[in-house]
Amino acid sequence: MFFKTLLCDLLNIEYPLIQGAMAWIAGGNLAAAVSQAGGLGVIGASGAEPAWIKQEIEQVRKLTGKPFGVNLMLAAPGIEKVIELIIQEKVPVVTTGGGNPGPYMERLKAAGIKVIPVVASVALARRLSRLGADAVIAEGTESGGHVGEMTTMCLVPMVVDAVDVPVIAAGGIADGRGFMAALALGAQGVQMGTRFICAEECNVHPAYQQRVIKAKDRDTVICGQSTGHPVRAIRNQFTREYLKSEKMGAGQEELERLGQGRYPAAAVEGRIDEGSVLAGQICGLVNQVQPAAGIVADIISDACQVKNILGGIECQE
Amino acid sequence: MNVFEELKKIIVEIKDIPEDEIQLEAKFAEDLEADSLDIVEMLMLLEEKFDIQIPEEEAAKLKTVKNVVDYVEAKLQ
Ligand SMILES: Cc1cc2nc3c(=O)[nH]c(=O)nc-3n(C[C@H](O)[C@H](O)[C@H](O)COP(=O)(O)O)c2cc1C
Repeated sequence: MFFKTLLCDLLNIEYPLIQGAMAWIAGGNLAAAVSQAGGLGVIGASGAEPAWIKQEIEQVRKLTGKPFGVNLMLAAPGIEKVIELIIQEKVPVVTTGGGNPGPYMERLKAAGIKVIPVVASVALARRLSRLGADAVIAEGTESGGHVGEMTTMCLVPMVVDAVDVPVIAAGGIADGRGFMAALALGAQGVQMGTRFICAEECNVHPAYQQRVIKAKDRDTVICGQSTGHPVRAIRNQFTREYLKSEKMGAGQEELERLGQGRYPAAAVEGRIDEGSVLAGQICGLVNQVQPAAGIVADIISDACQVKNILGGIECQE
Repeated sequence: MNVFEELKKIIVEIKDIPEDEIQLEAKFAEDLEADSLDIVEMLMLLEEKFDIQIPEEEAAKLKTVKNVVDYVEAKLQ
């Protein structure tokens, strides 16, 4: 089996499939399993301590010799130390979520690290590609976790038209159909988060995985629109209380207090009613826990089938 | 080119607010409800309009309309 796009050459990977970083739960084991299977595994190091990040990097290297990535939140305090560690460890790829990678771009690139920021608008994609981003991840509002306003369907082709670097589509992709749809929009690869929550190697509470599997099409909601940091999660007791407070005009501080620690409560402790079960709209398509290698293989082989089906459509220019 | 006038046009284009609400003292986040993506959009349009480059370190310091006007005017000197 093989599936080659420009992204494979850029990152030296077999399949143009990135496992999206997930804070707290995407550690070295998951990243290694995805990379070993031919995709790009990414350690979710957003806001984590350097000691933990170092340990997870070592874990990946113990399990695979293939390229992997680390995701950083650049707005986090103490980010300087983390950047030093990443450079020292010669991590092959850095993806960035919250915060502007601009100030760190030169140093990371000088160390031979590929920098791939997540973008939710055309202007940001243009700006960061001009600053030297090696590729950009155009992430739609279908995604789990922090979200922007544009849908993947609309954002991806606009970003593709606006930049010269490869574009990776994220948000709402969990099978070979979504994967091929992203390529049809002009993307050179995809990033998936929600489906990898249900990878065996994901360091998440089993109750969280079962909640994702149980979820149907209309089961996610966006909380925190009024804070300027909207987050998509599965509807539960917590989101109902939060949205009620938000609707009644609760202030920033109150909302921050309400949301504090909710994600680890669900992801680590398995408190799926009082916690925040971050997941994307595509959760309705995720229906089993399986090894990460199985997920990668399923996506790629399904994508090949979809390509054949599309090839069978009769048309002519 | 009058920097303040051009900047007002850009903000109107991005935020769709009446031009006379854009005061020199206005703060982007608080007064104009501009989020980080709006600011990036503004920077890109400013760079094109005035044919300048605004480095990230400088961009991070631009919090008010006046900050931007002063910065661009200095840059054009
Ligand atoms: C539980 C969860 C946690 C996430 N944490 C992060 C993070 O720490 N940093 C980041 O850049 N993206 C994060 N994401 C976004 C993913 O990396 C990915 O872009 C997104 O999940 C893609 O959309 P999908 O969920 O529809 O597959 C997270 C997503 C989920 C579901």
